[in-house]
Amino acid sequence: MDLSILTEALASKSYDKIAVICDNLMLQVAAEGTAFQNEWPYAIHLLGHIYADDINSARFLWKSIPPAIKEVQPEVGAAWKIGQKLWLRDYGGVHEEIRGFNWSPETQCLVAAFSDIYTRKMFQLAAAAYSTISVQDAALFWGMNEDEATKYALLEGWTLDEASRMLTVKKQPVVAEQKLDPGKLQRLTEYMFHLEH
Amino acid sequence: METAEALVVQIQALSGSAEDVSHLHSCLKQSEELLRQPTSLAPFLDRLDPSKHSLGYLYLLEAFTSCPISKEQANELILLIVRFVNSCNAEQIRLAPDKFVSVCKRLKDQAMLLDAPIRGVSAMLTAIRKLQPSSEHLTTLHPDFLLLCILAKCYKTGLHLLEDDIFEVDLPRDLFLYCYYGAMICVGLKQFQKSLELLHNVVTSPMSNLNAIAVEAYKKYILVSLIHHGQFSTAFPKYTSNVAQRNLKNFTQPYLDLASSYSNGKISELEMFVLSNKDKFELDNNLGLVKQVVSSMYKRNIQRLTQTYLTLSLQDIANRVQLNSPKEAEMHVLKMIQDGEIYATINQKDGMVRFIEDPEQYKTCEMIEHIDSSIRRIMALSKKLTAIDECMSCDPLYLAKIGRERHKFDFDDFDNVPQKFNT
Repeated sequence: MDLSILTEALASKSYDKIAVICDNLMLQVAAEGTAFQNEWPYAIHLLGHIYADDINSARFLWKSIPPAIKEVQPEVGAAWKIGQKLWLRDYGGVHEEIRGFNWSPETQCLVAAFSDIYTRKMFQLAAAAYSTISVQDAALFWGMNEDEATKYALLEGWTLDEASRMLTVKKQPVVAEQKLDPGKLQRLTEYMFHLEH
Repeated sequence: METAEALVVQIQALSGSAEDVSHLHSCLKQSEELLRQPTSLAPFLDRLDPSKHSLGYLYLLEAFTSCPISKEQANELILLIVRFVNSCNAEQIRLAPDKFVSVCKRLKDQAMLLDAPIRGVSAMLTAIRKLQPSSEHLTTLHPDFLLLCILAKCYKTGLHLLEDDIFEVDLPRDLFLYCYYGAMICVGLKQFQKSLELLHNVVTSPMSNLNAIAVEAYKKYILVSLIHHGQFSTAFPKYTSNVAQRNLKNFTQPYLDLASSYSNGKISELEMFVLSNKDKFELDNNLGLVKQVVSSMYKRNIQRLTQTYLTLSLQDIANRVQLNSPKEAEMHVLKMIQDGEIYATINQKDGMVRFIEDPEQYKTCEMIEHIDSSIRRIMALSKKLTAIDECMSCDPLYLAKIGRERHKFDFDDFDNVPQKFNT
C-alpha cells in the first residue's frame, strides 16, 4: 500500500486535501483487492473530513470501519468523538475531545490545525449570532478559560461589562469585492440578445 | 467450427485499425457458439492484451465469467474485471455495449457477494465514463454504481456522478433507479434540494404502469419535502402520468397522514402519530427520515416566528415551539443562524432574540458570478429544449398521431367532418 501522496500532503500541511486523497487512495487499494483495513490510517482520514467540515462523510466513514479496528485503535475512536460532538453541535465538547486525547505524532499537527480553524470559526459564529454573550459561554465556545476568552474578545474590539460578566460584540463590517469588470457588461448584452431571439 | 486457438490468433491480428476491429466484431459474433464452453478460455485470456485487444478480450471475458463461480474464485474474477475495465480501449468496447454491461454487472454482483462493495466502486465509475458517448448519457451502469456507493458508504464519490446533467436515457428503469439511489445519496449528505429534484423526476416520469420504485420514491418525496420545505402539497404537477396521479396516494397513506399532521404545527401530536405508526415507517426503512421530519418541525416553527415578530424573548420562543428551556431555544436559534436558515442576533444580557432581514444585497462579485452562471445554465437548457421541440415536430410518428387525433384538438378545422361521417 503506497501512502506517499498522503504523507506528502501532511508534510506540506495541505490539510484541506487530506480527505480527497484518502478517499481516492482507499478506492484504489480496495479495487486491487488489498486487505487494507488493518493498516488504513482511519484516524487521519476521519480528521481529514472533519477538517474539511464534511461531518457527513466522516460519519459514513466511521460506520464503515470494522468494529475490531475501532477496538484496537483508540485514536480512531477519539477522532470520531470530535466529529460526533460537531454533529451534535456540542460546541464546548469539541474542544474537550481535542484536548482529552494524547494524539500520536502523525495526527497531532492535523488536530492542532483543526483546533485553530474551529476556534476562529466559533469566534465568527459568536460575532454573527450574538449582540451580547456571557464570558462563560464565550469561553466554552472557544475552548478557553474565562480570562483567556475575555482577553481574546477585547483584542477584537469587544467590550466587557464587569458587573454582569457580559461581552458586547463589536460587529465587523464585511468587506466584499463589488467592482465589476467591463466583460460582464458584454455578457449582459449577449443575454439580452438571447432573450430577443 | 473454428477453435479457440484460431480465434485468439484472429483477435491478435485484427485489433489495429477501425476496419479490422469491425471485421473482428463480425467474426466474434459468429464464434459465440464456441465461446459457450467457457472453462477452456482461461489460458487464452492471458495471451491477450486488454488495452490492445479490448473487443476480443471482452468477448472472451464475458463468456469466461458467465458460468457459476465459487466464492474463492470471486476474488480472482473481480481483479480480472477491474483490470480489464481500467485498461480497455473505449472505442472498441463501445462496439459491444451489451457484453461490456454484462461483465460490469458481474463485477457488481461478485463484489456484493463477497460483502466488499467498495472493491467495485472505482472500476464502475471508469466503466461508465468509457461506455457513455458523453456525460449527458445515462447508462445501465449508473444505478449499479450508485448502489455500490451506498453499500460501500462512499456517498461523496457517488455525488460527483450526480453533478452531470442527464439528457439521454435509453431505458426508463435506469432513470428510475438512478434517480432513486441518487436521491438516497443526497439525503445521506443532507443535500435535500438536489434529492427532491431527483425524487420529483421519478414521481413525475412518464409511466404506463405503476412501479415499486415510484411508490418508494413518492414516500421519500413526501418526507424530504417536509424536511426541506416544511410542507407538502398533494397536488401533482400536470405533466405527471395519469397512472401515478391516480394510484400513488393509495400506497402511501401513512406518509400523507404524517404530512397532514405536520401541517398542524404541533410537535406533540406529530410525535404521537409517529409513535403509533413506527412499525410501518420502520418496515419501509424510512424511520430515520421520519425522525428528521420531527426534528425539522422545531426549526419550521421558529422560522414561522420570524415572520410575525421583530424581537422575542428566548422564554417566549421556548414556550411557543414547545422546548423545555430558554437555553434550549437559544441553542436551536444559534444552530439555525449557523446554517443560514434564519437571520437573527441573540442578546444574552436581556434574554432576547432580534430577527433581522437577510443581509445579502446581491451586489458582491461572488453573487453576480453565481447569478451569471445560473443564467448561462438556463440559456443552455432553453436551447436544448428548442432543439428537442423542433426534432419532435419533424418526427413522423408524432405527426401521424397528431394527424389522427386532430379533430380532438382543432375544432375550427372543417376537414374533420368527412372523417366523422366515415366512422
